[in-house]
Amino acid sequence: MTLAEGMRGKGGASAKAASPGTALLVLPACLLVLGLLIGPMLLMFRISLNQFSPTQLMIEAFSFGNYARAAADPYYQEIILTTLGMALLCTALTLVIAFPAAYWLGRLQSRWKSLVVIATLFPLLVGNVVRSAGWMALFTREGLINTALLKAHLIGEPLTLMYTPKAVVFGIIAVVLPYMILTIASVIESIPRDLEDAAANLGASGFSQFWRVILPLSAPGVAAGSILVFVLCMNTYATAVLLGGPRFKMMAPAIFDQFVRGNNWPMGATLAFMLLAVTMSFTIFGSIAFARRYRAR
Amino acid sequence: MLAAGAPSARAASGQVVVGTWGGDYGQLLGDLIDKPLLAPKGFEVLQDVANADPRKTKLLAERQSRRGSMDVACLSDSDHYIVAATNVFEPVDAAKVSRLDKVFPELRTETAIPHIYSAQVILYNENLVKTPPTSFADLWDPKWRGRVGLADILYPANTFAAALAGGGSASNFDPAEKMLMELRSLDAKIYPSNEALAAGLKSEEVWLTTMWLARGFMWKKAGIPLAHVVPKEGAVAIVFEASVPRNARNKDGGFAYLDAMLDAKAQIAFADKMGYVPTVSDAALPEDLAKQVSLSEADRARLLKPDYKYQTERSQRTLDFWNKQFKG
Amino acid sequence: MASLMIESLTKRFGSSIAVDGLDLKVREGELVALLGPSGCGKTTTLRMVAGFLPPTSGRVLFDTEDVTRLPAHKRATGMVFQSYALFPHMTAAQNVGFGLEMRGLGGAERQTKVEEALRLVRLSHLGGRLPRELSGGQQQRVALARALVINPKLFLLDEPLSNLDAKLRAEVRVEIRALQQRLGLTTLLVTHDREEALTMADRLVVMEGGRVRQIGSPRELYDAPQDAFVADFVGRCNILSGRRENETGFRTESGLVLPVDTAPNERDNANAFALRPERIAIQPGANGDLNGAVEAVTYLGSQTEYHVRIGREVFVVIQQTPGADEPLAALKPQDQVSLAWDRKAPRLVPQTSL
Repeated sequence: MTLAEGMRGKGGASAKAASPGTALLVLPACLLVLGLLIGPMLLMFRISLNQFSPTQLMIEAFSFGNYARAAADPYYQEIILTTLGMALLCTALTLVIAFPAAYWLGRLQSRWKSLVVIATLFPLLVGNVVRSAGWMALFTREGLINTALLKAHLIGEPLTLMYTPKAVVFGIIAVVLPYMILTIASVIESIPRDLEDAAANLGASGFSQFWRVILPLSAPGVAAGSILVFVLCMNTYATAVLLGGPRFKMMAPAIFDQFVRGNNWPMGATLAFMLLAVTMSFTIFGSIAFARRYRAR
Repeated sequence: MLAAGAPSARAASGQVVVGTWGGDYGQLLGDLIDKPLLAPKGFEVLQDVANADPRKTKLLAERQSRRGSMDVACLSDSDHYIVAATNVFEPVDAAKVSRLDKVFPELRTETAIPHIYSAQVILYNENLVKTPPTSFADLWDPKWRGRVGLADILYPANTFAAALAGGGSASNFDPAEKMLMELRSLDAKIYPSNEALAAGLKSEEVWLTTMWLARGFMWKKAGIPLAHVVPKEGAVAIVFEASVPRNARNKDGGFAYLDAMLDAKAQIAFADKMGYVPTVSDAALPEDLAKQVSLSEADRARLLKPDYKYQTERSQRTLDFWNKQFKG
Repeated sequence: MASLMIESLTKRFGSSIAVDGLDLKVREGELVALLGPSGCGKTTTLRMVAGFLPPTSGRVLFDTEDVTRLPAHKRATGMVFQSYALFPHMTAAQNVGFGLEMRGLGGAERQTKVEEALRLVRLSHLGGRLPRELSGGQQQRVALARALVINPKLFLLDEPLSNLDAKLRAEVRVEIRALQQRLGLTTLLVTHDREEALTMADRLVVMEGGRVRQIGSPRELYDAPQDAFVADFVGRCNILSGRRENETGFRTESGLVLPVDTAPNERDNANAFALRPERIAIQPGANGDLNGAVEAVTYLGSQTEYHVRIGREVFVVIQQTPGADEPLAALKPQDQVSLAWDRKAPRLVPQTSL
């Protein structure tokens, strides 16, 4: 139920019960998810219990040894922490950057609005790799930034911009920003303008209107956007590899390493499930904490 | 991944699916082999373009299937060994590949033909490095601090070089670990790809690296002021091979393709374009080309072949050490 | 409470003009209603008074203080929105307390005032509910309490009853009016519902196209509209075009001469005859001065509406519903009737082209 309906809603819950026929409409989606997500995941889980062999790929086994080994390895502990830290940092920064834009977009009343929405989506039309290549052109020692700064005599030596965590943060934010903006904007759109006027009328300054009315009411959008972005960040691959360089480690490239470079499918599957577990537990924990703070509506 | 694998798209006889790299290599295969050699015999060649790792994974994953997606699989010698160990490939013999008798005997294997080869050498910037190194061990000289660059994806070769520099051998990588940690403390730079390493050499961010001679040849052609030395410890050979999987749908086509890859004219053209040396005795290179891409008699004597068995068994440790300790 | 003074207030949106030089004074404790069709500028005016919209030109004064440039949150007006605009994430009590909180009023004092305000609108028992758990009428009362608890200088009502059902609307109308009079609230009411305006307001401002048509008491506007638009907008009216024939008659365009005492209607440009339907008497049988045929009889409960055709004109007549045995009760379409009215009842006004 959207907020707008909630406002009107005497009978918000009395939505017509779907007829048995309409249930069939979800069938294709369900089959797809079942076949292409749940199935392979079960298979992967099975693989994660196997044992690696350099010559035979893997040996059938049934042991959680891979999990124990990965969890006890300081190397993977650090990667998980890095990944988690990056994801949390990027989500927070993205939220801060996205909110004003989302508010503006949500409140925009113009015949150009659909164009603005398309413009917001535009970065998503460019693949991650292509986009990161563009960033590389910007960040390298002979890149646009260094060339410009050198020409302007602002620096004497090229700055190291590529292959730094900072570059990855920039890169990730650029990728996930549209998701956050559009998710929040759609919720802001459903918050009646009257509420801000009412708050102002009762003496609330711009900041109080935001803090007491807009922010709590856009909480569902903030939550949805943050979860979406957090999950995307946790699974960052191309940006981490291309902008972070060989020394920067996040989970998705580490999983790729095990599967493809090491041919160690059991360990790759194990790491994948560990990533999934961390992502899911943070998402669930975060949602619960969030719902407590802003009461489930 | 299933670029060319759809069964309905394949004619019963004439189609050959070649799992290969894209880029120059794939392009040259198309220009030098597919069109001039295979097409006249009525074969239609489809390239299944991917990097080696996905191809390896695909071959391993498909090994239980009755019908695989490739008729020819191109792999490096080390990768070939790993995949061949799971009995994925058809044996190669002169009955199926008529030009096999022209192949240098030291490059022959049970289940593959050697297509082209090169050796791992030291490349250095000839403008900036006044006294060139003569061995891998020289790269550990503190005066090159911060000036040695390595390609991340070549971690097995880099590890091999470190082992040799530390007194190890093809069958003993143990010294590599200490040496790599030393190199790390000497601020060696790691680049995610060969292309990124080339850019680093070009911008003079780094001055020295270890690389296939063939790539050095290409980079020199691209205008990077590089020279090469064959290290004292020996030059590790890299052979790019091709095989026919047991579950290939068109084995005849696959072997015909392998035969064409050994064609003398095509081999010379590969040397000219990519700097890799022919693997057959009847493909003589023009003199000045030979000087740039071939090893001297003395150097060829120091050519080292990897101990594939040792290397494979140690692969997880090599990768883990590279990732966890060296890069960590 | 303050008085409100609006001086040549103008608002343009691009090339269109929403409010065009409006002048109005609302005295302390007075309830003035802005009445007009949608798009007439009444809501824009209210939003400028509340501070939600900056005027293009003109001034707004509370007492003698010029508030034209004062932001909304510093104006201390109490507004009830058409949608009520209750904060959906706050309970009724939190909604009511919001304005006090913004004024820095804390703890016990705020609590007391909130309880008082809820008691005022008889919702003491529902303070803990969220807006969506309240009926429309209850939500409306929370909105009232929320606007009043801050002790506003000005009470602003934006179509406050339009979301209520008819029966509740009549009740709340009386309730708000009583409250407004008891507390002496200076009030500006925006509505398009003439009945609401007539029953609640001390004075009415009829607006059209961004301009004031007429300002006056409900009675003045009803009985003595200045033009056909006002006559029609504040109540049902028979409006016939034509011209003054002489001192006792008005000739319609179709040539029908209607009796009217023109003395009080000394307006040169008067080209319309306006007569309220309830001021017309109807008798069965074609034996009067104005005879015609019944076209329709509509039973409305306490009243009955007749449509009577005389020549080319159709008159609407509204009478108390007759008892079952009275002669009028038997009237049906096609019956002959005669109409009559007090000569002083019709008004001759300028016709307004709409």
